[in-house]
Amino acid sequence: MSSPVNTSNLPSQKDAIAAAIALYPKRPFAVSDVASQSGWLKAAGHDARNLYVSGPMGLATSVALGLAASRPNEQVLAIAGDGALAMNLTSLATIAGMKPDNLAILLVDNRVYEFTASVQSPTRDLDWIAVGRAFFGEGQCVRLSELTAERWAGVKRPALIVADVAPSAAKPPPLGLTPAMIRAEFLGASRG
Amino acid sequence: MAETSSGGDRLFRSIAAAKPKLVTGVPDGMLAETIKLCEETPDFPYIACAREEECIGVACGAAMAGERAIVMVQNAGMLNSLGAYATMGLRYGLPFVVIVTNRGALADPNGYDIEKREAFDAGVRPMARVFDFDAGNLPDDLIPAAFKWAEAARKPVILALEKRLQGETRMGGEAAP
Repeated sequence: MSSPVNTSNLPSQKDAIAAAIALYPKRPFAVSDVASQSGWLKAAGHDARNLYVSGPMGLATSVALGLAASRPNEQVLAIAGDGALAMNLTSLATIAGMKPDNLAILLVDNRVYEFTASVQSPTRDLDWIAVGRAFFGEGQCVRLSELTAERWAGVKRPALIVADVAPSAAKPPPLGLTPAMIRAEFLGASRG
Repeated sequence: MAETSSGGDRLFRSIAAAKPKLVTGVPDGMLAETIKLCEETPDFPYIACAREEECIGVACGAAMAGERAIVMVQNAGMLNSLGAYATMGLRYGLPFVVIVTNRGALADPNGYDIEKREAFDAGVRPMARVFDFDAGNLPDDLIPAAFKWAEAARKPVILALEKRLQGETRMGGEAAP
């Protein structure tokens, strides 16, 4: 049984993603999990530096790690839902072990599988701040609502940003991009 | 426990010859020597993953940026990773190389490996291009050649390495039926 959460004052997933990207002085590479996160990332603002992961759920953190290792002079932001990250929780152990200093994870926690009829996620009562601190340390796990660009600039990476977001009544608009289009556009941006 | 793998150093030299941007994996006894050499080299990072499916994600992240990436896992780990291999590697046409130790061969009859090998044959070969090799007699140009193939095919490729009996021949370098 989940605890009741008052979501009336929480930002939307789209607004949380936009706010996190805006923390960076230069747009980071944004690597989003399949479905909900990719849809809301595109809705928040399409950019050639967006990498829309096509599956499976939870892989964005691992894809972002590979990208961060390949582009050590660029900042990389992985965007994961709570249900998605729970499917690849071991990636936090891998990232903590590798200590990439250019990788952060934005966890958008709406406590449901938004793309699957908003069925409740098993992590709905999980303390993600405590989880993040266990992997990365206290200073490297922060709430989005408490961040400013200035404070974010001083947070050591790898880091976890936890954003409590309101579940959406509707799915995001379709991506409208083929895999070939996504790959070609991102390849150009990543080589730029 | 680490196993003696006479091809370990040879595999590492072939990996280095392909000039990968990164190598990632989860240990298997047959890969231990190669992994240690990858961890020690300054030429590329070795990303030690907690679970095999992560390795496919890491390789996809590098490949989406146009870089060469290599995955090293056991056959059971490849079975754990088929969703990622299909929905990222195949869907986006990413040319990375996966080295799989195909345990449970005639010369490698651990009871706990037999079903892994049978599942690998039943589950992986129908959906992925697999080339089979004797782990003790690897071609020097194996990994550079695998990248050339993957980049031409615009999709990932699996190199299945197995232990073989002395004198055993089994379609070396050819895809199994």
